[in-house]
Amino acid sequence: MIVGKTRIQLEARLTSPRWLIVAVPMLSVLLASVVGGVFLLLTGHPPLRTYGDLLNNGYTSFYGLTDTLGLATPLICTGMAAAFAFRMNLYNIGQEGQLYLGMVGGAWAGIALAPHLTPFIAVPVVLVTGALFGAAWVLVPALLRARLGTSEIVSTLLLNYVALNLINYFIFGSRGFFRDPSTPFPQGRMIYESARFDPFGTTNTYPTLLVSMFLAVFLFWFVRSSNYGYETSVFADSPSTARYAGMNSTWLTTSVLLVSGSLAGLGGAMYVVGPAGKVDPGILQIGLGYAGIVVAALARYNFVAVILTAILFAGLRVGGSALQASSDPVPIAIAVVLQGAVLLFALGGELFRRNRVVITRVTESHQVIVGEVS
Amino acid sequence: MNASSEATQGSHHENGATPFALSARNVTKKFPGVVANKQVNFDVARGEVHTLLGENGAGKSTLASILSGLYRPDEGTVLRNGIEIRLTSPRSGLSHGIAMVHQHFRLVDRFTVAENVVLGSKGLTFVLQPKDIEAKVAEVAEKFGLPLDPRAVVGELSAGQRQRVEIIKALYHGAEVLLLDEPTALLAPPEVVKLFETVRAMTSAGKSVVFVSHKLGEVVDISDRITVMRDGKVTGSVKRGDANASRLAELMVGREITLAPRRGKSDSGEVLLSVSQVHLSHDQINILSDVNLKVRGGEILGIAGVSGNGQRDLAEVISGLRQPNKGAVTVCGLPTFGLGARATRKAGLAYVPEDRLGTGLAPSLSMVDNLLLTRERGFLVDRKSALTEAEGFIEKLEIKTPGPLTSIRKLSGGNAQKVLLARELFSGDMSRVLVVCSPTRGLDVGAVEAVHTLLDEARKNGKAILLISEDLDEVMTLADRVLVLYRGKIVLEARGASEDFEAVGRAMAGLSA
Repeated sequence: MIVGKTRIQLEARLTSPRWLIVAVPMLSVLLASVVGGVFLLLTGHPPLRTYGDLLNNGYTSFYGLTDTLGLATPLICTGMAAAFAFRMNLYNIGQEGQLYLGMVGGAWAGIALAPHLTPFIAVPVVLVTGALFGAAWVLVPALLRARLGTSEIVSTLLLNYVALNLINYFIFGSRGFFRDPSTPFPQGRMIYESARFDPFGTTNTYPTLLVSMFLAVFLFWFVRSSNYGYETSVFADSPSTARYAGMNSTWLTTSVLLVSGSLAGLGGAMYVVGPAGKVDPGILQIGLGYAGIVVAALARYNFVAVILTAILFAGLRVGGSALQASSDPVPIAIAVVLQGAVLLFALGGELFRRNRVVITRVTESHQVIVGEVS
Repeated sequence: MNASSEATQGSHHENGATPFALSARNVTKKFPGVVANKQVNFDVARGEVHTLLGENGAGKSTLASILSGLYRPDEGTVLRNGIEIRLTSPRSGLSHGIAMVHQHFRLVDRFTVAENVVLGSKGLTFVLQPKDIEAKVAEVAEKFGLPLDPRAVVGELSAGQRQRVEIIKALYHGAEVLLLDEPTALLAPPEVVKLFETVRAMTSAGKSVVFVSHKLGEVVDISDRITVMRDGKVTGSVKRGDANASRLAELMVGREITLAPRRGKSDSGEVLLSVSQVHLSHDQINILSDVNLKVRGGEILGIAGVSGNGQRDLAEVISGLRQPNKGAVTVCGLPTFGLGARATRKAGLAYVPEDRLGTGLAPSLSMVDNLLLTRERGFLVDRKSALTEAEGFIEKLEIKTPGPLTSIRKLSGGNAQKVLLARELFSGDMSRVLVVCSPTRGLDVGAVEAVHTLLDEARKNGKAILLISEDLDEVMTLADRVLVLYRGKIVLEARGASEDFEAVGRAMAGLSA
């Protein structure tokens, strides 16, 4: 781009300084807040005070933080689900549907199996069943992708709508197994009490948080150290190299998508053993599955970083909801705008992590570099 | 033409009479992290073939791109007939009569020759007049010895024919100076001869040709002058008659280079690889028919052939990546037919594929991870021993890399190839058979020498090596015996001596000996 006698160019970086990895996300959040601030001003809310409230309600107060951690629990799972598939260039964007199915599977186990189980293993059975249901929901897209090369983006996305309608049918459209028979009001049937976790004290944080955090750390180690993680890295980098080395691409593709689906399903089951205790259509409004994609992208598919970005996002959501309920109600849409802005700036920031800006002055015979912006 | 006004512009032939057709004066071009051209001076006279010789990355393609208007120089000027011109695009280059034929053709496969030739012309009528265009294309083709049907669809042409389309296109648009970037890279020897005839026809018509190449052998014949570049600078310039290969090699590399052929000691080793009656077809088209060969320990068997005659398929069949319809493959006495890549490797076969960065190596991964690729791995990968191994290879093979954990993509082609060869030759359980495809494609002279030394050493250590290469010089330099593959059949067997060179070249082009 040439402005007057100055030429502004992007130049590829040969090496990215380490501090940029931290600086770019921080700056994205800052710039996103500026954009959100403009919207706040336009709607007549003082930005600084609103942000103060948001911060307090989402992160810095005790109940704010514990609410955030509670919401982050399934979000870490959907974030891991996205990261696990995306790092192998498999774009499973069906976490939303897999999460619903995890909820259905968890509730089924909690109602049908839990009464026959000792309390000690009831919760794990519910969680594992949810994970299996999530995996089952991605099985067909996975096989289509591995065998026929069908785009998993389209098939997993479309199944989200099927899952959505399935939940609506279970709760609103029928008087079946998942609906609470004791009341004419449409709501889910509660799972057996032994299959539920109690929250920590009076908070909304459940022990499942520890499970998802442990899983994130485990996966962080697993993809770096295991042969399976190694093979997926090779396959992601160059499928023909994987073939050359005799790796089984059908198995890798299928299994990665199944693990991804099971992680999202686990998120749904965690919602069942934790706050909901039933198939709860309320979760449909939160969009935990789609948010997982954003969480994974911001974390650059790093499983430990997923914990942090999930907490960041959950806090925005919790803080945003609290603002809505305050004396000077701010629409929840502002929080959504902020989420979107953070993502856009983070992705835009990638450009500056990979390139640097070179400003040169255009003169007659040659150019003088007047400055470089890192 | 006003000779006196041109005289004031400088840039002349030695005698001061006519200015050069095209010159670069003190041209500097920088890319991130590298100075591709550093104060380069270069000129070509009317009716002259001036070769730009240099290794990959020496800056010759950059210079050609600057001369043709694709790149703009950071510093310095380009002169046409002694007058400074400012080229902003290849099209502005063409308006000054300068055209470049790129190594990778820029043609539309589904268009005919004539349609490709007029593509991008400004003076086209709203409704095309194919007859007129075809007639004019045929005329240009005839004049410069470029036989080609203007109505042929480009997608069905061979590499040599496509190159002719590019040249005709340049001439059709009135090019007086042609820059040919690595024009022989994809051609069979008889096609090279044909190209050289065309080049001579062009120069005798008063046109200038800049021939960009890294192949020493071929440029000596065709060039009036040769200018050698290294690391972005001109290291020397020699006239026709003064040029000899070893002097040029030294200018290119900056040190002395061995170009002498290398041969094995004896042919009495045990047969380690045998392929018999292999047939492979796809969609009812025969890709390989009745291929038989045997390679003994301590021997290099060369497979010569023009790209796309079944070489890659043969390598994949032998390495177990592809299942032939019929036939048998034996590695170290074990039949490996239908067992797959891992089992074939276990039987003792190592394989260096042609596509080193996209198939032999995982480019984003580190050297350590790439050494792990063909090992037996447990549930957890053992990076520690691979790291020790990588450090050993870096020292022993003089691999230039920031470290064993740097991704392979950041290495030069020659260093990446050393990593690949090291893994296939020395890593793990030491296979006894090596299949290697185009191991020096795109590498510079120094790296070629290193790769050839490695292969020669492996031969001395008793390995059976099948060398599949489109570079006939390479096959002739290294192989003890040569087979020629043409349309999936072995059409000639020759001893790897230079007296057979011509017969092999003819067989590669499908002409019976």
